[in-house]
Amino acid sequence: MTTPRYLLLCMIPSALYAQTTPPDFSGVYYPINPFGAAALGRGPAAGKAPPAAGKQKGPPPRPTQSAPLSDGSQGRSPDAPSLTPEYMAKWEVIRKSRMAGSSDYDNTAKCLPPGMPAMMSMAYGMEVMQNKDKITFFSELNDALRRVYLDGRKPSQKVLDDPTYAGYSTGHWEGDTLVVDTVALHEASFIEGFTPHSDAMTVKERIRFLSPGLLEDRITVTDPKALTKPWETVKTYRRATPGNNDELREFACPEGLGDAK
Amino acid sequence: MNMRLIALSAVLGAAFFDATPGLAHHSNVAFEVTKVITISGVVKAFQWRNPHTWVVLTVDDGKGGKVEWAVEGRAPGVLLRAGWTKNSLQPGEMITVDFSPAKDGSKTGLVARVTKADGTILANAGPAQQ
Repeated sequence: MTTPRYLLLCMIPSALYAQTTPPDFSGVYYPINPFGAAALGRGPAAGKAPPAAGKQKGPPPRPTQSAPLSDGSQGRSPDAPSLTPEYMAKWEVIRKSRMAGSSDYDNTAKCLPPGMPAMMSMAYGMEVMQNKDKITFFSELNDALRRVYLDGRKPSQKVLDDPTYAGYSTGHWEGDTLVVDTVALHEASFIEGFTPHSDAMTVKERIRFLSPGLLEDRITVTDPKALTKPWETVKTYRRATPGNNDELREFACPEGLGDAK
Repeated sequence: MNMRLIALSAVLGAAFFDATPGLAHHSNVAFEVTKVITISGVVKAFQWRNPHTWVVLTVDDGKGGKVEWAVEGRAPGVLLRAGWTKNSLQPGEMITVDFSPAKDGSKTGLVARVTKADGTILANAGPAQQ
């Protein structure tokens, strides 16, 4: 049995459309689980939002916490990256410092960029700007930026020799999914929280819409020196609707850096 | 003057002129975030700036005197989305602040929520951020 010619004609344009018109991720987003799937069900980020400014009858319920507990005093989550003994020892040093209240190992407190992949937590909101050749992710937290080149370029040796917080990202479309590879990440950033990594870390992401306006980033971190196995985490973000917090604010972190401890 | 003396002068100078307790930018790890305590006082200053906002409060010490507290709040962008503005708190107004105390015992804290005299609540996060 042969396929009727009119059916073939109908199929050609849809196949072309799928190949040439990727989804448009542009917009302002807020994370649904800013600290990753591992944090779901724990801490205030996973709970119901406190009410915005307004009047309540009677005394308000006491807030249980001011911020997520992030000083390491609860140890490592079973979902945290699995570290080699060398990097576990580094983590323990950082943990002791943080538990003592020190900001020595807190890049954010020093107004440094959060870096990849930690920056994809996007706790203060994210703006995505996209064209055919490049997609740019902006984090309100510390005004951090990363660019993903889609025009087929590859990281040069010059780039590989010059690691940065955001690293160097190249991507391509596989159907409706943006596949991104990030290299040239230097050791001063963290994988998540304050988990250290080596100069050999690379990050792979698969970014797609789960439904209109609901963006998912599946992140796989590989680091043969620091990790005993690749670490995977999933971030999801909801796109702001017009007029509803659809503008991010300038962060200008160094305003308060002059008297940083 | 050698460099060590210059550095020492700078430290002493800062200590002399900075009467407000610890108006320095901290990481959250500087605070006991699992604890929340409450104080009421009069707003002396509200600094709407990054990376963290600040409320300086004058509080009765219970012995007929006054003490000053400086509590650190979320960034302006976060607070805007939670319903705050840069004019949300005015010098001279009485407020109640729920906050996490500093680990080092200084009169500083990390704001969980501010309640104005008329009962208006200024929270840390609005629904859009969840």
